[in-house]
Amino acid sequence: MGSESNLVSTLRALAAQQGVEPTDEDLEGVLDFLERILSALAEIEERLPPEAAP
Amino acid sequence: MSLDPFNAFLHRVEADGHWRVGVKDVIDVAGMPTTAASKVLHRVPDRDAECVARLRAAGASIIGKLNTHEFAFGALTNSPHFGPAVNPWDTARTTGGSSGGSGAAVAAGLVDLALGTDTAGSIRIPAALCGVTGHRPTVGLVPVDGVVPVAWTLDAVGPLARTGAECRRALEIMAGRELGAEPPRRVGLVTRLFDGAHPAVAAACEEAAREVWPDAEPVELPLHEEISTITQLVMLPEAAAVHLPWLRTCLADYGPDVRARALAGLLLPATAHVTGLRARSWARSLWERELGDFDLLVAPAMPIVAPRLDAVPPDYRLLIMPYNSPAALLGLPVTIVPCGIVERLPVALALTGRSGEDGVTLAAAEDFQRETDWHRFEPGSGELYTNPVSSDERG
Repeated sequence: MGSESNLVSTLRALAAQQGVEPTDEDLEGVLDFLERILSALAEIEERLPPEAAP
Repeated sequence: MSLDPFNAFLHRVEADGHWRVGVKDVIDVAGMPTTAASKVLHRVPDRDAECVARLRAAGASIIGKLNTHEFAFGALTNSPHFGPAVNPWDTARTTGGSSGGSGAAVAAGLVDLALGTDTAGSIRIPAALCGVTGHRPTVGLVPVDGVVPVAWTLDAVGPLARTGAECRRALEIMAGRELGAEPPRRVGLVTRLFDGAHPAVAAACEEAAREVWPDAEPVELPLHEEISTITQLVMLPEAAAVHLPWLRTCLADYGPDVRARALAGLLLPATAHVTGLRARSWARSLWERELGDFDLLVAPAMPIVAPRLDAVPPDYRLLIMPYNSPAALLGLPVTIVPCGIVERLPVALALTGRSGEDGVTLAAAEDFQRETDWHRFEPGSGELYTNPVSSDERG
């Protein structure tokens, strides 16, 4: 709980630095999504050939 | 106030010509508001988007603006501000989206041609669920000037109509050139997308595909498990960049689902986007190596029939992503053709071609529609046809 609250605070600060002010409810939803996609991202990074360029 | 029984139109004028065209409300039409079915945007452009101008110059009569998922950033067409477009085949069901007004208007015969946009499935999904023909062009084929972007490197503007031939006519006008009509020489059936579809949908799609392409070979798409995530990594940050000025000033005016996706894009690390771009290059090279000899890949356009508006599966987006992400990520052309009726609702095939070979998928669609009658079925005609696999038998 404390950890999630810290993460929401971090996301709020990141959003604020870009001039955006979401609610905690918005950020809690985003947090769930980010956890899922970042986990999938880590798997892709492991398989991505080092020579693959954008 | 709804302007038609399907809430397909957001703004409408009387037709003054014979080729009645509706335009998704993310595409500018001179003198008509562009709202993107949002509370955030309301501009009245003084000039047509280039694709609209080209159609008008060819004799089209633009009769109105069509409903969309808010900012074309979702797959349902259920804007909280304008209400859902409903499916002419069953008004309790979704049209899909985001070009849901376009799908409904063509299916109901309110227009001869509708323009849609497709970032990650938004022409293909409503074409399939509404039982009409649709074409997502190769990225870059049709100009996107005057179109509200979702994600610049993925967006495409394309037609929805009754037939592949009508889609070809519209696309050639919008692209400003003929597209060729070479039929495909080597056809692949994307087995995992058949396996992942509802059994009755898969059976109808396979029967139709086998009838027209009996020599099609089974194929696997590279990075099947990863490609939806890679598409999100590319799309979400681009979308957040599009929306950033509005996120700063009117965040609360967005519907909850679009707000959540835009914020997710805003808060993804920059390296995630770069990894997405690198993975797209990787996917493109694998695709070329493993599928480069195939002119056409055939798969169910959607794994399910149109869900009820009050019972959209909670995993709807995850369910449909594998069907829509590969062509989105790689910018490939796809033509959607109706290919059967399941539970009195249309199902469709997706015909995917190589980049720049829109003429091949359209030629395949035209061949398919010479051999079959599914594109002639209209809302209500599903009652005339009972699929041999009933829902009871499927369990």
